[in-house]
Amino acid sequence: MTAVDVAAPQATRPVPRGPDRQGPRRRRAGRVPFWLAVPSLGGLAVLLAYPTIYLVGLAFTRSSLARPLQQWSGFDNFVEANRSLAFNGSLVRSVVFALAGSLLQVALGTGLAVLLRARGPRLGAAGTLLLLPLVTPPVMVGVAWKLMLAPVGGSFAGVWSALGVPGFNPLGSGPGAFTTLLLIDAWQWTPFVTLLVFAALLGVDGELLEAAQLDGAGAWRSFRSVVWPAILPTVLAVALIKVVIGFKVFDLVVVVTEGGPGVSTILSSYEIYRTGLRGQYDMGTAAAETLVFAVVVGVITAALTAARHRVVRDR
Amino acid sequence: MSVTSLSRRQLLRAAGLAGGFAALGPVLAACGGEGGGEALAADAAAEPKGVTLRLMVNQPHVTAFTKILADRWATETGGKIEVTAVPYDQLTSKQILDVQGGAGEFDVFDYFYFGLGALVDAGALVDLTDWIGGQSDLDTADFLPSIYDPYTLYEGRRYGLPYDGDLHILFYNREIFDRHGLQPPATWDEYDAAAKKITQEGGGKYYGAIVQGQQVPMILGCSFINRLAGYGGTLVDAGGAPTLTSDAALAAAEHLIAVSPHALPTPLQIGFDQANTAFLSGQGAMIDTWTDMSLRADDPSVSKISGKWGVVSLPVGGSNTTPRTALDAGFGLGVSSASRHKAEAAAFVKWATAAKQNLSQASTAGAGIDPNRKSVLHSGEYAKATPTASSVIRQNLDGSPLVWPKAPSAPKILQDLVDQLALAVQGQQDAKTALRRAQESWERELSR
Repeated sequence: MTAVDVAAPQATRPVPRGPDRQGPRRRRAGRVPFWLAVPSLGGLAVLLAYPTIYLVGLAFTRSSLARPLQQWSGFDNFVEANRSLAFNGSLVRSVVFALAGSLLQVALGTGLAVLLRARGPRLGAAGTLLLLPLVTPPVMVGVAWKLMLAPVGGSFAGVWSALGVPGFNPLGSGPGAFTTLLLIDAWQWTPFVTLLVFAALLGVDGELLEAAQLDGAGAWRSFRSVVWPAILPTVLAVALIKVVIGFKVFDLVVVVTEGGPGVSTILSSYEIYRTGLRGQYDMGTAAAETLVFAVVVGVITAALTAARHRVVRDR
Repeated sequence: MSVTSLSRRQLLRAAGLAGGFAALGPVLAACGGEGGGEALAADAAAEPKGVTLRLMVNQPHVTAFTKILADRWATETGGKIEVTAVPYDQLTSKQILDVQGGAGEFDVFDYFYFGLGALVDAGALVDLTDWIGGQSDLDTADFLPSIYDPYTLYEGRRYGLPYDGDLHILFYNREIFDRHGLQPPATWDEYDAAAKKITQEGGGKYYGAIVQGQQVPMILGCSFINRLAGYGGTLVDAGGAPTLTSDAALAAAEHLIAVSPHALPTPLQIGFDQANTAFLSGQGAMIDTWTDMSLRADDPSVSKISGKWGVVSLPVGGSNTTPRTALDAGFGLGVSSASRHKAEAAAFVKWATAAKQNLSQASTAGAGIDPNRKSVLHSGEYAKATPTASSVIRQNLDGSPLVWPKAPSAPKILQDLVDQLALAVQGQQDAKTALRRAQESWERELSR
């Protein structure tokens, strides 16, 4: 097999060397006419700056749902968030939920995609089935699972009775409820991973696989040495997307557990909602919690992005 | 043509200006938003004919408005109502947001009385004090004294009229009790013992008690406060200071924890709908719930226990021997300060809370409305509609039920209480710790 050097694309126009005689003109050419930038600046102000500044304003003022921005309160809202029953724990739970959920779904989804790819290049009826959980609104997913898991009258009730645990409720204990949420989330989102990884598998060079087999590589070795490196960037990108989606989970919690039992399934998004809009109406503390949560999400996703870059670069 | 270019410095300056305006906007908006909730004049004239009033109502009340009141209002006045139902755990926040957010879509609010302070603080309700005084055909003396002031009066001003006189009593499945040789409980100790016996002997087919433990004040809060009232306790003392570490509160919380293993699984997951369904299908032997259950339990279309149930006042405990219930939930009707038809909305409130309308609703299964007036509570028609429960309901509404706090911070402190109680029921802390932490939160919030 002959190695092929892939040359970088040639620049279509040679870069001038030596003293830059056109310096001022070149710099001017790089500028943007002000009036052309107005729409984008306006959009930026409305869509990004305004909500962000307002959020920061809420976080540093005494603000209720009824009366936002009453008076400057320094870091009081952050202290209140730290003192609250559920917020610090919710950060940990959110991180665990996002990472564990992503790991589980990427493992399951990739495995499923590889099996489906082995059947052939088309998904056929399996594709439709895979889309079903994806297009189902999360609220409906939650309602359906909640009804199925109801200890009395739920469709699993017969199973629990047959197993000798009548009235068993997986949502009745903290670890059980958290695990159940992870599994329901996996039920909904694993097909998303499968579809994307399946698409990546279609892009694996068949000639490379054939060559590997001619060199005596078995199925596992071919997967490890040819397929996996080819789909790894996609798998890591999907994992990152899934982590972000995992941080955003809210509707499942609202419908299935409402954060309970106790505070066992209170994720940060739900806790922020509780603080701001359900019962407490403390918009200042909710804004402070949002900022802290954003920092945590930013740190985790930045670390994962950096790790992904390193892995892809070192391949 | 000259073209203005944009340097980095200019870009930053523009962004700074945009940020400044962005920051200033909400400040100005907030300043302008305070102090709403103006008063309606005593002689405000209403012309309901041709006017469409928009109502935001508690979801379980939707039948009362759409099936009973809408047609009758149209026939009597030529006006129209449009009803938007909101889940009970979002009602107060949506009402505040409708006014504060500037949407102002609604004219009439069906409000929780313990959210009254928060709504008034938000300027969301019109002050009806003067208007009520000017209505010669409004018989306020007929409103039940046990609910009139708690539901409508805040800091000396009146912001609505009582609509749904909610309180809890104890329903039991007579068939199950007879099967296990039990009498309905008179004390919370007897209640716990009956729950344990029935659950153990029921073999998983039914449970001794249905404990509503969904982690919101209207559900788990009721379950705790029912026991607290039975033990003769209070939430706050005469001076408004919290009393959550009292012996009565401790006993109430301990009973709530003790009965949970013998209740329909799993109490912390059980809300209003699940609890009702379970009791009406015969899966639970006891439930402390709202009095309108008596109408539903005798409706064969939704109940498998028709004619097989009984009802008593909530049990007592400790040194208290006099049954006492609590004003659990409870609703008033008020006029949104953002309404463009305030006089018509107030006219509707007066009409909907009148004896004639209240009797129709309180006598209809599924309406979810209980008596708000003495004349209805003591009427033969109401007794006929609820033959099994009317005497118990009368006894409790005529008494002095335990009233929940309704300060602006009431929704928050009640949520804090149920959060702590939920952890105790879950076994993550004991009752004493839960109450001590709730007490600290209440002291902090109520002293602000």
